[in-house]
Amino acid sequence: MATRLSRRSFLELTGLAGLGAAVAGCSTGPPTGAATWSMWSSSPAEKKVWEDFSKYVEDQLKLKSVPTLTPSGGYPTKLDLQLVSGTASLVTAINGTLIPTYAARGAHRPLDDLIAADSDFDPDDFYQPSRRISSFNGKTYAIGFDVAPTVMYYNKTLLQKQGIELPSRTEPMPWATFRDLAIELTKAPDQYGFTCAPAIDDLVSWIYCAGGNVMNDDATRSILGEPEAMEALQFVIDLFVKDKVTPPIKNLVTENSSSNFMQGNVAFMQNGPWQVVNIRKAKFDWDIIPFPAGANGSTPRVSGSSFAIPSGVREGADLDLAWKLLKTLTSTGALDIYAKAGRNNPARYSAGSAFQPPPDNLGIVQQILAGKVGGGHPFDVTTNWNQVKQLLGQDLPRTFLGQVSVPDVIAGLTPRLDVLMRQHQDNIRQATARKG
Amino acid sequence: MAVDTLFAPATAAPSRPSPKPTPRWRNRESLTAWLFILPSLIGFLVFTAGPVVAAGVISLLDWNLFSPPSWAGLRNFARLGPDPTFWSALGNTVYFTFLSVPLTILVSLALALLLNLGLRRVAVFRSLLLLPYATITVAVAFVWIWLYIPHDGLVNAVLGVFGINGPAWLIDDNWAMPALVVMSVWKSFGFGMVVFLAGLQAIPQQLYEAARVDGSSAWQSFRSVTLPMLSPALFFVVVTSIIGSFQVFDQALIMTNGGPGSRTTTLVMYIYRTGFENYDQGYAAAQSLVLFAFIVVITAAQFLLQRRLVHYDN
Repeated sequence: MATRLSRRSFLELTGLAGLGAAVAGCSTGPPTGAATWSMWSSSPAEKKVWEDFSKYVEDQLKLKSVPTLTPSGGYPTKLDLQLVSGTASLVTAINGTLIPTYAARGAHRPLDDLIAADSDFDPDDFYQPSRRISSFNGKTYAIGFDVAPTVMYYNKTLLQKQGIELPSRTEPMPWATFRDLAIELTKAPDQYGFTCAPAIDDLVSWIYCAGGNVMNDDATRSILGEPEAMEALQFVIDLFVKDKVTPPIKNLVTENSSSNFMQGNVAFMQNGPWQVVNIRKAKFDWDIIPFPAGANGSTPRVSGSSFAIPSGVREGADLDLAWKLLKTLTSTGALDIYAKAGRNNPARYSAGSAFQPPPDNLGIVQQILAGKVGGGHPFDVTTNWNQVKQLLGQDLPRTFLGQVSVPDVIAGLTPRLDVLMRQHQDNIRQATARKG
Repeated sequence: MAVDTLFAPATAAPSRPSPKPTPRWRNRESLTAWLFILPSLIGFLVFTAGPVVAAGVISLLDWNLFSPPSWAGLRNFARLGPDPTFWSALGNTVYFTFLSVPLTILVSLALALLLNLGLRRVAVFRSLLLLPYATITVAVAFVWIWLYIPHDGLVNAVLGVFGINGPAWLIDDNWAMPALVVMSVWKSFGFGMVVFLAGLQAIPQQLYEAARVDGSSAWQSFRSVTLPMLSPALFFVVVTSIIGSFQVFDQALIMTNGGPGSRTTTLVMYIYRTGFENYDQGYAAAQSLVLFAFIVVITAAQFLLQRRLVHYDN
């Protein structure tokens, strides 16, 4: 039976429905006392790992675990907004390069008091580079869950087909040998010797191996113009522009070394063990070797990611729960799940054995971190690293295209980098002056 | 006389007091109207006017998002002058606007005129031509990245057929911005086309018949009848296109990330980076207000000009 709806009733119903929707929208937060944590996740495989983490947390803490998973591209912005609005999880994952940025602005709390008060927690079980990456201004702001040096991937099938002797599994090859090999293996446009991203994240490994850096030890000025860094930059740019051993750059934004390598026609790729999980899908035989050695040896970038506690977490029950959750997420059991899935090398010595081959030579990752094979250099960043990266990302890629020379670019960049280093020093001073 | 007449009712014998007129805003129709515009008004106040006022306040602060803000006065505005990136971003945005707005209007108008010729299956063509506008910019941007690939992209392949060696569009200093403009024109012409088509269909046919009787050629009819009658639609499309062009962001972020160098760094991209990557909210708000003022001045100038150029009478 049809019922006529008066205009007044219609408006009343609409109003009530709107109110209901608003109330429903405001009441979707996690239940009180839940173990909330946030993490980036960009694929179903990654999501599965974090779901397993979540089950592990629930088993260990006997609490509801509520992970907030966000695709990696949007993760920093979402985290920022949650931190500002006071809706951040009890524990948040952070890329190691951003720890000083957040710590200097008071977004996360130091953990030293919690570590000191907890006899169960053993900081010495974490690789030293991970501990260094997770610290800022003499304080620990995060606990690592993965850490790894950059290595050199190589296409075994391609080298064997060309009748080239496979490189040493433990002895880093000198740069000159690497360059000769890359030239020999290049038969453009069908086959290339080497691929890496035309960005500072990949360039720093060469700079560290040459004994240089982006900034000096105190981070008070840029030293990209000094001979060591210049030699490294020129070496890599020459591989692109002069020797032409790399696939042509199609687009500076989407240029992706792993997709180049996966084509099967590139002999060497610079990348981290975090790519192992993707390269396992390759239809050719491959392995990893230590990064080529420059004047300073084989000391490529070591990077990692960590978990931290936002400053907004209240002292008392919330902070106790946050610390328990942080310990659980970075425990050997949790990192075993992470490493067994092949995501990356875990930050703990005790979980290292879970990161298993293939590739055959995966064991060198831990040997490099322990200083037994080659070495590594923790990624040195500043409290305004986003700005430094933007600046370097604007001008440096043009050298890869041969549009400008390395000396010209560095001469133009250095004064602007020095300004950013002074801003970084100001940030440190403000962080030091800030209470708590 | 007049005075007497004026005062007469007041001094006359008491009669039934006249009811106080209901204020206009309290009558039933007005209340209903307010009720209908209320959702939109709330949306405007919360999501547009509110943020503008908030930006005004934030521009006077030093605020890194996470720590309590401190008073900066006009310092953030003073930083704009010596900031070369700000001026280069503003220049890039103006360059984009000067290229994209006329091109978008020309393409939209040409297609609207074509569709207005009374072709068969015009609804199908109209829907197809509107598709780029209805598609998400992010998806379109990725497709155009592929089209622009230097060696085996479709754009250079087509140019190659005519013996033209196309540039490396998105990484070439001179071609990166025009490449973004072409993509943006392709993405946005559908909106203008629909507005122009509606405008064209509202022009009375008698005007064209009168012009024909007077011996006008097709071009003369277009110039003397179509353009003046279409001027309100043209004005609307010009205003909205210029405002949209000054706010260009997503295609530049995805296709070039502001490069090569800073050739395609637009003002909104710089504001976003300043505020959300460099955590300098005060300075980002100051930049936003300058952009806002820029758009307001240009739009106001257009509204002044429309009095002379736009015909609203049939």
